[in-house]
Amino acid sequence: MTTALRYSLRRVFLLLITMLLVSLLTYLAFELVSGDPARTMLGTEATEDQVQALRHEMGLDRPFAERYIRWLGGFFSGDLGVSYSYRQPVWGLISGKLELTLWLSLMSFVLIALISIPMGLISYRFTGWFAGWPRTVLNQLCMALPPFFTGILVSWCFGIALRVFTPGDFPGLRNDFPGALRHLFFGAVCLSIPRIAMTVRMMRATVISEMNMAYVRTAISRGNDRAAVLTRHVLKNSLVSVVTFLGQTLAELVGAGIVVEQVLGIPGLGRFLVTSISHRDYPVVSAIVVILAFWVVLAGTAADLISQSIDPRLRLGSGKAGIRGAA
Amino acid sequence: MKKTILALTLVLALLLAGCGGTPAASPAPSAAPSEAPAEDSAETVSEAAAASPRAAANEISIGIAQDFDSLDPDYMTAAGTKEVLFNVFEGLVKPSPDGEIIPAVASEVVKSDDGLSYQFTLRDGVKFHNGDPVEMDDVLYSIERRWKGEDTAAQLSALSVIDNLSADGNVLTISLTEPSNEFLAAVMNAYILPSDYTKQETSPVGTGPYRFVSRAVQDSLVLERFPDYWGTPGRLDKVTFKILESADGLVLGLQSGALDLVAHLSSDQTVQLDQNEFNIAEGSMNLVQALYLNNAEKPFDDVRVRQALCWAVDKQAVIDLAFDGYGIPLGTSMFPSFSKYYDESLTDYYTPDLEKAKALLAEAGYPDGFEMTITVPSNYTPHVNTATVLVELLREIGVKATVQPVDWGTWLEEVYSNRKFQSTVTGLTSDNMTARKLLERFGSTVGNNFTNYSNAEYDEILAKALSTADDAEQTELYKQLERNLTENAANVYLQDMADLVAVRKGLDGLTFYPLYVLDVSTLGWTA
Repeated sequence: MTTALRYSLRRVFLLLITMLLVSLLTYLAFELVSGDPARTMLGTEATEDQVQALRHEMGLDRPFAERYIRWLGGFFSGDLGVSYSYRQPVWGLISGKLELTLWLSLMSFVLIALISIPMGLISYRFTGWFAGWPRTVLNQLCMALPPFFTGILVSWCFGIALRVFTPGDFPGLRNDFPGALRHLFFGAVCLSIPRIAMTVRMMRATVISEMNMAYVRTAISRGNDRAAVLTRHVLKNSLVSVVTFLGQTLAELVGAGIVVEQVLGIPGLGRFLVTSISHRDYPVVSAIVVILAFWVVLAGTAADLISQSIDPRLRLGSGKAGIRGAA
Repeated sequence: MKKTILALTLVLALLLAGCGGTPAASPAPSAAPSEAPAEDSAETVSEAAAASPRAAANEISIGIAQDFDSLDPDYMTAAGTKEVLFNVFEGLVKPSPDGEIIPAVASEVVKSDDGLSYQFTLRDGVKFHNGDPVEMDDVLYSIERRWKGEDTAAQLSALSVIDNLSADGNVLTISLTEPSNEFLAAVMNAYILPSDYTKQETSPVGTGPYRFVSRAVQDSLVLERFPDYWGTPGRLDKVTFKILESADGLVLGLQSGALDLVAHLSSDQTVQLDQNEFNIAEGSMNLVQALYLNNAEKPFDDVRVRQALCWAVDKQAVIDLAFDGYGIPLGTSMFPSFSKYYDESLTDYYTPDLEKAKALLAEAGYPDGFEMTITVPSNYTPHVNTATVLVELLREIGVKATVQPVDWGTWLEEVYSNRKFQSTVTGLTSDNMTARKLLERFGSTVGNNFTNYSNAEYDEILAKALSTADDAEQTELYKQLERNLTENAANVYLQDMADLVAVRKGLDGLTFYPLYVLDVSTLGWTA
């Protein structure tokens, strides 16, 4: 019980440190990069006086440390600040988008997990020249497919030719939930194709190395069915590394969604982040980046917990392996 | 490695297959006569009708490439926001499609003979979108806050000539400290807003033909017809603006039937569209696109170097290579929409002549050319493409140019405001229908003279032009300024970019303005 408590405390601590560092780095990055939010807002026609007045109003003429601490204080009291360009509270702007991006990421994640684990298990059989090269080509092709390209292809095939969904007309989760999910599904497909290929490749390599282990040979030589050995022993042992990899994938998906969101016209978080960066909308960028950091740490923790439940050696407090589990 | 190459080849093949469905030949713009067999077009027409159920509901969906900034007219600065909210807000006067300033919330405007006072008579029965009538208090409030409101960011510098406002019944008299030919244009941008309303940010209220319904950040903005509009009411019941930042997203949106109209398209976007489904209208962007040179930086502080670049750059080649031939070549800081001020003869002042260019470079001490950097805002693809073509054209005279793309925020800060650049490609506009904005910025002491152009004769003519109240004299002086810029090769002037608009068949009434606005009130489905 105490180990579990210590573990959760350590995780929460890690989460806080990560978010703190990420937010500080975001603030610093904007400090170093050129471009002034006040000037970006006012555009080319503004006079110097107007820019200075707006800088003062937005508090940009205050020292860096003061601005950061003020923001941090606001953040911990649940106030994410007000967007510079929209002049509206940040949370109201991003909450709906966060929801969409979560749906998109989770759908892609489910697709990846459901497709790549069985495929990884089966694909170890396709070795040798004859069965091997189509598999390798297909795998390479899928990995090389950039989501923006699949996005265009999918929109063209399913949107324009087959009219299953309407690219450029995202219905919104509240207005038409099934329609919105259908739209998001195609985004998820584009996002998951290269990652399925990567996971399958990784899984295959692990399965092959496991299959060469002594225990497998022993199990088979003792008369066990090959398929049974594969699902009962090899799968379980291969899963640890796959889960870690999937954890990383889950973390990456949110960022990777940016391009797909743009091509398919999904008003998600990634798209908002990109525009906010070019508008120098610090409050929005900081909020999104911290949320993404939170998400990454969360995905890592989830992967950790699952790995531990699969492989008891990784559990905390059980010898050397415990350190690996906490990292 | 081999496998990777194979994979890449396959991807490329797929890519080409994906593009195969679109005609490779450049279509005739605007006219778009159907060359397709009759049965083919009949089929696509029925498909188009099926694709737009909005025709039956009397509404349309318009694609735009960037989100709106603030909806509060005091703080909206993005050209794309003003372009759309033109339909929601009006000043005492407003622009007409042919570039005149016509009465709007005021029914009559009388200018005194000395040009020092204007009388605006309020129009009867004008209502705000919230149902309240427009009263003199609202008008005073709206003008005052843009003239000397406590928020400097909201002030319009062109209104600083106001001396006093006085209201008498429904007549507003504005007296000026000095005559100004730009005053009415500034009044046009001082939108009339309800004085006691504080929610412009989230739910804007104006007097225009369309009223605000809803907005979803980075997704859409919806307008509906304002039934109590004082003038000609809009034809469509509802207009939805869909925000799609990606160029492919906009084209896919048109093809899928999600969108009915998209403006500011590039020629390679328009060729992807089915000519049986869309008309392509061609207007002009009303901007001066040029290779702007930092006149204070070496080697552009030497007039011979600047002239050499002008002789070397073939404007038509830029238009042909980067814009498929759409665009009007320019020779100075003025475009044809300002026909009164536009001097067409300056366009061909420099005709491509590489020998002359090389001779001038040698004379200036650069017989082997030099290296230069063209800093471009990376979010403006047309400017980036133009810079790429310029690199090739300048190579002919031994000038090695490199393109440096930077993001918009950096461009504004470093190039436009700190003037730390060698050269840049951008388009300068006039947002209030006065030629002054295009010329005043090259005065040597003017705050937004980012090219550091400094010419004593120019300053002298400019001062004279701005102080005169005589319109004919001012026009003549403006033309002299244009000639000065051309002769001294202040910048390498290129073109007024074409504005290509894809309009779904069945939709008519698209009106071009000499301003960056999209008037939806004249749009409608053909009955």
